[in-house]
Amino acid sequence: MSAHAATAHDSPEVHAEHHDDGKFHVFVQIAMILAVITGIEIVLIYLPLAKWLIVSSLVLLSVVKFLMVIFWFMHLKFDKIFCTILFFIGLILSGGTVAALMLLFGAKDSVPLTAQTIYAEQAAENE
Amino acid sequence: MASTATTASYTAPDAKTASRPWFFTRPAAKTGLVSWLTTVDHKKIGLLYAVFALFFFLVGGVEALLIRVQLAIPNNTFISHQLYNELFTMHATTMIFLAVMPLSAAFFNYMMPLQIGARDVAFPRLNGFAFWVFLAGAVVLNVGWFTKAGAPDVGWFGYAPLTSNQFSQQFVGDSSTDLWIMGLQILGVSSIIGSLNFIVTIINMRAPGLTMMRLPVFTWMTLFTAFLIILSFPAITIALVELMMDRSFGTGFFEVSKGGMPILWQHLFWIFGHPEVYILILPAMGIVSEILPTFSRKPLFGYPIVVFSGAVIGFLGFGVWSHHMFTTGMGTVATAAFSLATMAIAVPTGVKIFNWVGTLWGGQIHTRTPMMFALGFIWMFMMGGFSGVMHSAAPADAQQQDSYFVVAHFHYVLIGGSVFALLAGIHYWFPLVFGRIVSEFWGKLSFWVIFVGFNTTFFPMHFLGLNGMPRRTAVYDGNMGWNSANLVSTIGAFILAVGIGIYFAVIVYTYFKGKKTSHDVWDARTLEWSVPSTPPPEHNFHVTPTVHARDAYWYEKTHAKEIAAEKAKVAAETESHGGIHMPSQSWFPLVTAIGLLVGGLFFAHHNYIGAIVGGVILLVGVLGWAFEGPGGYHLHVHPDGTVTGGEGQDEAHH
Amino acid sequence: MSAHAGTIDHHHDHTTVTGIPNKKLFMWAFLASDCMFFGALISSHVIYRLHPVPNATDPLKVFSLELTSFSTFILLMSSLLMALAVGASQKGKIEATRKMLLGTIFFGLIFLGCQVYEFTHFVHLGMTLKSDVFGSTFYTLTGTHGIHVAIGVLWLVFMYIRTFKPADASKAWVARAFTQFLAFAVATVTIMFLMLEVTHAGAEHGYSLASITGALTHTPLAAVSTTAFALSIALLFVLGRFKQPVDFGEANAIDVESMGLYWHFVDIVWIVIFTVVYLLEYL
Repeated sequence: MSAHAATAHDSPEVHAEHHDDGKFHVFVQIAMILAVITGIEIVLIYLPLAKWLIVSSLVLLSVVKFLMVIFWFMHLKFDKIFCTILFFIGLILSGGTVAALMLLFGAKDSVPLTAQTIYAEQAAENE
Repeated sequence: MASTATTASYTAPDAKTASRPWFFTRPAAKTGLVSWLTTVDHKKIGLLYAVFALFFFLVGGVEALLIRVQLAIPNNTFISHQLYNELFTMHATTMIFLAVMPLSAAFFNYMMPLQIGARDVAFPRLNGFAFWVFLAGAVVLNVGWFTKAGAPDVGWFGYAPLTSNQFSQQFVGDSSTDLWIMGLQILGVSSIIGSLNFIVTIINMRAPGLTMMRLPVFTWMTLFTAFLIILSFPAITIALVELMMDRSFGTGFFEVSKGGMPILWQHLFWIFGHPEVYILILPAMGIVSEILPTFSRKPLFGYPIVVFSGAVIGFLGFGVWSHHMFTTGMGTVATAAFSLATMAIAVPTGVKIFNWVGTLWGGQIHTRTPMMFALGFIWMFMMGGFSGVMHSAAPADAQQQDSYFVVAHFHYVLIGGSVFALLAGIHYWFPLVFGRIVSEFWGKLSFWVIFVGFNTTFFPMHFLGLNGMPRRTAVYDGNMGWNSANLVSTIGAFILAVGIGIYFAVIVYTYFKGKKTSHDVWDARTLEWSVPSTPPPEHNFHVTPTVHARDAYWYEKTHAKEIAAEKAKVAAETESHGGIHMPSQSWFPLVTAIGLLVGGLFFAHHNYIGAIVGGVILLVGVLGWAFEGPGGYHLHVHPDGTVTGGEGQDEAHH
Repeated sequence: MSAHAGTIDHHHDHTTVTGIPNKKLFMWAFLASDCMFFGALISSHVIYRLHPVPNATDPLKVFSLELTSFSTFILLMSSLLMALAVGASQKGKIEATRKMLLGTIFFGLIFLGCQVYEFTHFVHLGMTLKSDVFGSTFYTLTGTHGIHVAIGVLWLVFMYIRTFKPADASKAWVARAFTQFLAFAVATVTIMFLMLEVTHAGAEHGYSLASITGALTHTPLAAVSTTAFALSIALLFVLGRFKQPVDFGEANAIDVESMGLYWHFVDIVWIVIFTVVYLLEYL
């Protein structure tokens, strides 16, 4: 079986070499980008912007970091697509479950009594 | 077992054992106790699962009978209320986790590799490990029966705050709930590890030509069940961790006085609990999908739709968990959303039923024992489905919740569904696994007694529920109008017990003295029947099959000459590559599981030194496992059918 | 299954149907499962942050963003080193693999050290597992992540030790391997203890050469720890200078890669935790 592979693929060694030479540099560059993004996130929370804007930006930046790690460091971009599908099944299901739970607990009917007193106090203060 | 590139690194996998420390010598026993303790053979592991699952099935059954005796008459004093609570808790926990799931696992283990034309699963030692861990979990769950603390008594779903120290620590050292937590965690480890193994096996180790859409439906259901397990168990793992933290370390996850919300337990539990019921039924549906075509003498109707429905059921199953919580006051929007989603799940389930009926339609029906159970499955599962759809309407559920109507519903789907299919599978595959066939008369008799007993027990419960009888109560008063139904139900339970008794007696008798058979006794369609002998040899197939169509074995039988020539070629090729590669046995899965058992038992009793000792044993097991290397040896099949070779007998390097 | 001269194709495994090595597929499926695991934990934390409880700890009063940012950066860098270790193993470069593995271990331990410090600091401020629900969810979530990191470090240590297995199967190795492991264990425990001593001294007396050396020697336990640490590091250095041929090469890259997947996953979970548990509190 290994005999066909050498002829069927156009020299995997050559392909791998191109890929590998750049790999070290790509990894270091990505690490630098990740560090910079982390720095931006930290600065962002002190900026006097609207809360919704900061939260969305933080989420977006985290997503970018997340995707960079999984697609480059974890090699998903270069592997068979099935690995990506497999991981994303878990990721999306997990995300969906977290979102559903937050909606469930965020609903008015789910506010616990102890929190209700705090919200009432806050509302009274704001008036 | 497919060898990964790693084996290339081993310069002398089968070198003289004197050069390696004694604890890295792989055991070679093929018979006797050691062969079972160190087995990595998926077939032996399947048998181990089956034997213990059937044992615990009987244990769960006895627990149920005790419950029914208590409820036979009003205001009964047969057992204490404390014992009653332990019984209904353990009956459910045992049946779900120690009977149905492991029996399904037995079939996954034994049949799936054969159905995909493989010689074993992707990670044979891990497979053995999953079994020993299951056994450890079973021990931890049941140890309470022998102690003062008693068995767990908080219901199989352990709602907070009943499970908190305040309500579930009757005296200092009452570890029943802690053992329940630890037992379930250990079982979770077993299930997840086994499922990961099955996923990799099904995706990566199919025989040449076996595309996904040619897979037997049972293998598809194995795959979906495995996905359900790995994606749903984490939720209960976390719920149990949080509960354990509350009980042992004083955290406030479900503790109102610290700001906790007990309802969080319900959400996390049912995020697991709902997919769990699909974990219980999908394998059963897979078995039925194999039996119906064989005994209707035609292929499964609508194969792609049956597969797709299985996937949809699995996926939607993650979105309906709060239908167990309709009466907890989640608010209109949430309740309506879950109600709709639950109704939606009835659709793919119904689709499957129509396809099964389509399989029967126009077929030449052979009402052999496996077929009787499969037909019973269709009807009984449908009835369970009807009561399920009744639950999905939240307003109706407000009346049914926590009543015997629910008990009726889930016993129809679990016994009428899962158990019937598993009992069918035992009869169906018995000739393959043991080379003997169960007597038609006694098999059918056991079916009918079970069928009558089951319906007598559970049908009245629909009425009991709608007439207001609540679940989980040890006594009921005599003037509620529930007396006759309860008595009928108890009588039914004993008829069911007799039926199960006949079933087990017949199976055991057949194992020892049953009529021997040729291997393809049902003239079946799928690859597991194409093995050279029954029981199958350790290496499964003399030659790895090449698959040309769905129902691969049927194709082999109808294209005998073509297949024979093909097999001769593959045999020659395999031999030229060194022969059939087999995985080596190992002690370390057992050692590692023992570490988990010891650690778990000590931890549940808050003895942290003992827990560390268990952890050390676990670590030693893992290290031994990692450093003994993948091992492996070769077998050689000769043209006359004889097989030579074995552990430690490889002369040359691979 | 023979590899052709020199290079194994690390992108394609001929023995499997999909071409994905079994171990890799297994690890990705496991990580999909672990997503649900951390999802449930993060949900628990977030749910309790949705509706504040009276008299709960105010996170902003205990959090130190500088420390957490530093440890986030450390973990990201450890991810880089791990990726480089995988790359080195795929090229059969043993020395480079060992160096990168050690680097990852070192950075992983720094991360853990920061967490140990952070936890002791919070406990001093009165926030414990028991004090309120914030303590419960915070410690359980970040603690579980920390345990994942610790397991990763343990795995890395064993992988590092594995790279010293002699090619000659008859050579004794178990005792040597055990000694290496013990050296790592002693070094880890002592450095964590000493770190706490130094930071205590620093908090009380300010940081200076005097206070640091004082902290390392002021009690018999500290002095013994310092010596033990120095000895174990020296031992690791000596044992690391093994020059004989080893039974570790490109064929083992799949194991390093699988471990890499686990390590990177732990990193991405931290990316989520850092944002959701720490950063969002500041808004």
